Amino acid sequence: MTSADRTEVPGRTDQAAPASEVDRADGAAALSERPGTRAHNPAQRPAADRVAPDQHAAPEESTGVRSSRRKRRNPLADALTYAVLLVAALLTLGPFALSFMTAFKSPGQFASEPALTPPNPVTTENFTRLFGGDYSFISPIAVTAQVVALILVGQLAFSIMAAYAFAKLRFAYRDTLFWVYLATLMIPQVVIVIPLYAMMVQSGMRNTFWALVLPFMFGSPYAVFLLREHFRGIPDDLIDAARIDGAGDWRILWQIVVPLSRGIIATLAIITVVSHWNNFMWPLIITTGRDWQVITVATANLQSQYNANWTLVMAATTVAMAPLLILFGLFQRTIVNSISLTGFK
Amino acid sequence: MQTSHVQRSPGRMRHGRLASVLLAPSLFGLAAFLVFPILVVLWLSLNRWDLLTPMRFVGLDNYFDVLSDPTFGNSMLRTVIFVVLVIPLQVALGLFMAVLLTRGLPGSGLFRVIYVIPWICAPLALGVVWKWILAPYDGALNNLLGVSVEWLSNPALAMPAVAGVTIWSQVGYTTLFFIAGLAAIPDQVIEAAQLDGADGWKIFWQIKLPLLGPTLFFVLVTGVISAFQAFDQIYALTPNGGPQGTTDVIASRIYLEAFQGGFNLGRALVMALVSFVILVIITLVQQRFFSERITYDLS
Repeated sequence: MTSADRTEVPGRTDQAAPASEVDRADGAAALSERPGTRAHNPAQRPAADRVAPDQHAAPEESTGVRSSRRKRRNPLADALTYAVLLVAALLTLGPFALSFMTAFKSPGQFASEPALTPPNPVTTENFTRLFGGDYSFISPIAVTAQVVALILVGQLAFSIMAAYAFAKLRFAYRDTLFWVYLATLMIPQVVIVIPLYAMMVQSGMRNTFWALVLPFMFGSPYAVFLLREHFRGIPDDLIDAARIDGAGDWRILWQIVVPLSRGIIATLAIITVVSHWNNFMWPLIITTGRDWQVITVATANLQSQYNANWTLVMAATTVAMAPLLILFGLFQRTIVNSISLTGFK
Repeated sequence: MQTSHVQRSPGRMRHGRLASVLLAPSLFGLAAFLVFPILVVLWLSLNRWDLLTPMRFVGLDNYFDVLSDPTFGNSMLRTVIFVVLVIPLQVALGLFMAVLLTRGLPGSGLFRVIYVIPWICAPLALGVVWKWILAPYDGALNNLLGVSVEWLSNPALAMPAVAGVTIWSQVGYTTLFFIAGLAAIPDQVIEAAQLDGADGWKIFWQIKLPLLGPTLFFVLVTGVISAFQAFDQIYALTPNGGPQGTTDVIASRIYLEAFQGGFNLGRALVMALVSFVILVIITLVQQRFFSERITYDLS
């Protein structure tokens, strides 16, 4: 419902833009891309252009040049802007810096010196304790990684299949069925967890690996929705040509449609990894004890058990956040753009 | 795009078998883990069940029970306070930062990336980090300020602290949508206003802000919906509903009701259903409110 509303503005802007503005409007669309825009734009452009690697290129540089040419710069306003931006950056990064510093401090130094002093000497003893002996943080990382990997593969494969059916095939009740998919987007997680819990208890799956994976691995309505919009933009002529050449539907799907949609699939992959690595409520509810603890639950338990032992706890939060921070460092441009592209829940 | 359909056989069922194969897995997931649970919700809410003893049908008892329960009233109130503290500030700060970032200054792209960082991290992990920062004796904030304030255990401070952490982690995310919205406003609209002698202030309030209507709508709806369900960071910062129940928001209440202490699933489900209905109403009201004010046509 909300996504449909958002499609309006960029779509209209794109169409309203005169020829001289096409570049800029295109850039704006790449940043603010909405599912609806995607459906119309690619069809009008050659396929090679659509899958170009700079598909997600951020337009702010070009917009910047343009506006600086247009406006007379006000040095005072610029200086103030930088000051605010810097303070905000400091406030954003500060808590991370503090927690990383604490993670590399010895408990002795933490107890005797103010929180803001850098670790001296830098020690990895918190991490050694975390991974060895009592706390054994290796298992939560392994469990989380396996859960995320299975959900990622399942969700992508099954969502792509469903989206292709909705976008390119004709069958009875197609639109009704798609409407049902969309309607389920309205269901909040907090409503669903309790009946899911009851179902898992009844089927004896409580506190198992599959309880963590099954509810999420069969595709997500949201991914189906985004992919369908994208697939609809792929010209039918291309598919018909492949069919004439003797390709079956499975080959068309995996060798033509999927490669043409690398951008949106990468975006969905990132969304899936981030949201399931960070997932907390469902694993907290459905698992007990150490066996199937995921990283967020392990961190929460460690914190409540060793409340005062902050150097150890900060080592745990560092470990919980590090993989996604590294992922973010590698793909920051794609990630930042995919947030405004998809709404990223 | 539609022309190629001519050469195909016109029957509605043309791809029926292939479609059912393609749809089977996701349809199964949808039915088993979304639609069926919703039906279970309705049935369980009419029963009293603690998972151990047999289920007992009690009709609407759970509903009367919950709706007249002061702890539920408190949770609703706390949730509203949380949303009212978080959303206006998060949206206003997001818009403000977006305006600064679209001034075309070099380095804006880098700042934009920095502000999103908290958003990528697990809210639970961030909650734990802030629990230390806000700790009374060895926490970083009190250390920095040279005081020993009980940020999280003082009933007057716990809710603002929890809201503050939430705003901190969400502003960068909100900013991205406003940057996109601002970038979508055509230059010629702004140029026309400048030719008519409007200054930057006037352009912002009378042209850019109204044109941001759809973005604002999206940010408000999704923001309210997610703030209404906030759980992870609140659980990490103030477990068990916080000091004197001051941060006992609805998601935390549902969790405590269903899985801690009572194992009272029926009551928890009624609470979940009530919040679901409220969320749908909020969405509809916001939609009506905005559809009267949004000007889509920019040409």
